[in-house]
Amino acid sequence: MLAQLTRILRGNRELSTLLICVALSIVCLVLPPAAQQPISSVLSGAILGPVERLTTTFAEYRRVGKENAALRHIAIDLMTERSTLIGYRHENERLRELVGFLVAFPEEELAEMIPARVIGMPGGRVIESMKIDKGRDSLLEPGMPIVVPGGLVGKIASVSHDRSLIEPLTSASSGVSVMTERGRVRGVVKPRFGAASRRVTWEINYVQARSDVREGDLVVTSGLGEVYPPGINVGRVSKTVEGPLTMSIEVELAVDFSTVEQVFVLTGRAGVPAELEGLRERLMTELNDERAALEGRP
Amino acid sequence: MRAGWFAGLAVLAVILDSALAPEIEILGARPDFLVLVVAYAGLVLGARPATIVGFILGLIVDAEQPDYLGLHALSLSVIGFASAAAWEHLVRGSLFVQICVLFGAALAHDIIYYVVYYRNHLDMFARFFVRFGLLGGAYTAAFAVVIYILARINTWRAIAGGTRI
Repeated sequence: MLAQLTRILRGNRELSTLLICVALSIVCLVLPPAAQQPISSVLSGAILGPVERLTTTFAEYRRVGKENAALRHIAIDLMTERSTLIGYRHENERLRELVGFLVAFPEEELAEMIPARVIGMPGGRVIESMKIDKGRDSLLEPGMPIVVPGGLVGKIASVSHDRSLIEPLTSASSGVSVMTERGRVRGVVKPRFGAASRRVTWEINYVQARSDVREGDLVVTSGLGEVYPPGINVGRVSKTVEGPLTMSIEVELAVDFSTVEQVFVLTGRAGVPAELEGLRERLMTELNDERAALEGRP
Repeated sequence: MRAGWFAGLAVLAVILDSALAPEIEILGARPDFLVLVVAYAGLVLGARPATIVGFILGLIVDAEQPDYLGLHALSLSVIGFASAAAWEHLVRGSLFVQICVLFGAALAHDIIYYVVYYRNHLDMFARFFVRFGLLGGAYTAAFAVVIYILARINTWRAIAGGTRI
């Protein structure tokens, strides 16, 4: 029987190979765990180890790719949210400033104050004009002063029914009667264009020599020009140049005209406390809404 | 030359089996790349080398599961031998025959594997075989068709390119 089987197997190498493989497999299967473990360790370390490292690297690469794509989305979302929040912050600061201005400005001197939004400002080195969204319909007239919390902006040059053109202090034709707050030295502040109009400065000329003016003195409207009410902040003395008979005073304007968004028109009429109160309430409501929106964000 | 080619193919099968198969599983069934390689070895190399390829490949895969060391080796060496025998008796050039052989090989592999694995729980064997074995076998055969078509397209392209020259 055994001899017959051996003869068959000798004659059929394929079958004998299969039987050997099956026998070896069964031996592996029935081996005790203590004997299986070393064989499996050797095979894992020698062959499966590098393959597993390769597949792990591949899987890791895919995971990192997916994570990277997700992070890109998150980054884009965060950047969008950040720019929105920055916009809110700027608006919040502006509204706070306006609220502060309304609280600080003495009501009896305030008269009627109409808020307006700047809707047009031609580009260029010198701002020659600005446009606001209120006009004749809001009872605005040429010559009315324009202020912001920081100080004087200019006056209305012309009006249409729903728009007004402002002549700002930066305009070449502007001139404002001013005085220094400490020394009460009076004059007219005007822009002075340097060589080829490359540099613009604001100066008070023909002031009597040896007047009591120092760098840093506050310059306010004097009210003598009959256009601007007295006491509105214009700027600060940045430099004084003494001559034999007169002195020239250089003024640094208080308002940065390139960032002006919201202005107030001083109409000169008697103030309407209810309207002012309404404006205050509206601004406070806007502020509270923004704060709630910011706090409500995750 | 052929031994080197098959060694590379075996390594590729192990990589695909552990890296790609889990990604493309359908209803828990995965294509069995090891069965594909062993059956292909049976077609190209014959019964003896295919049996040895199956045994070695199975033993390598078994290293991951020391408690059942030899189980894959057993099933894949049988598959190598059986598929080579099947190729000898069937029309090799027919795609349908090839698919049938591959499907049968995948089923045979799963039967051997699950019978030994669940030898004390035959109800589990039936459940797992119906749940994963049949679908896995069909998936393996379908995957082989895709590979076959891709290989044919490449061959046609090579022939077309050669004709143009």
